[in-house]
Amino acid sequence: MSAGMDEAVVTSGQATDSALEQRARALLTGSAENLPGPVRSRLTQARHAALAARHARMRYRLQRWLPAGAAAAAALALLVVFVPHGRHAQANAVIPLINNVAGVDEIELLSSGMPLNTDDVDYDFYEWAVASADGTGGMHESATNAPGT
Amino acid sequence: MRDTEDGAHALEVFLASVERKAFRIAQIALRHDADALDVVQDAMLQLSARYASRPAAEWKPLFYRILENRIRDVQRRRSVRNRVMAMVPWRSGEEDQQAPDPIAEAADTGPSPARLLESDEILRALERALVALPNRQRQAFLLRNFEGLDVAQTAQAMKCSEGSVKTHYFRAVQALRGKLGDLRA
Repeated sequence: MSAGMDEAVVTSGQATDSALEQRARALLTGSAENLPGPVRSRLTQARHAALAARHARMRYRLQRWLPAGAAAAAALALLVVFVPHGRHAQANAVIPLINNVAGVDEIELLSSGMPLNTDDVDYDFYEWAVASADGTGGMHESATNAPGT
Repeated sequence: MRDTEDGAHALEVFLASVERKAFRIAQIALRHDADALDVVQDAMLQLSARYASRPAAEWKPLFYRILENRIRDVQRRRSVRNRVMAMVPWRSGEEDQQAPDPIAEAADTGPSPARLLESDEILRALERALVALPNRQRQAFLLRNFEGLDVAQTAQAMKCSEGSVKTHYFRAVQALRGKLGDLRA
């Protein structure tokens, strides 16, 4: 095989191999396929050890990050529930929070099992407060017009 | 979970496909079976621990890069040990006597039908010639010719440019031809 042919092999990088290259590949491949039994056995053990180490590492990572992931998910859920969002989020940012706090109070009240006394509730005040919050009515009136003042 | 099982299976198939050639490459470079087995095992462990999540197409060049690094580590350790031992006069002669003969090591793998067919003598001559090559030329030749990596993958495994791979490979082929001719029986 000429040097020119070798140049062709090198520059193309493809399979225009010389007799030497083909023969060398065949010899080395044959020797790799016919390794002695103890060596093959050691290689198999090494492979299994590598796979077992990967499995153990993945389990370790899962055990390590699962609680953190659960805590993050819980925090995200709380954010979604309690933080205002949407188009009117900024305008109504305060009121939903107040409403949510009031909602918590109501849940406590209802769950306490005590009878609810609705006789002395000032319904006019609540109607005025809702109208003021919606901005649909009552806002043109002065604060001094609020019922009970 | 299914993905994990599939990934583990793919990795096992990949490791099984490269382990024997990897061992031969390490064996030729280190001329020592136990060391060769150790570096192959290290390379497998590191690939599965660090790079198993990479696309399977990247595994082969990554694996051989790790293997070459491990081989170089062993060669450096040996070099340091030999220098230290050379300074200890009463041990150096003993070490020389115990140093394994690379060719004898290669022959110790035992005859097999395929080997007999391929001719042990030619294989040993090829191994001798490969051992005599500079490291980079031997790497380029074994990765390209024996393992079948393309130029780009070989460059990735050897951490050099594709042009360097072509040059190393060309010089390796020239050197082998100078010693072995066309390797005909």
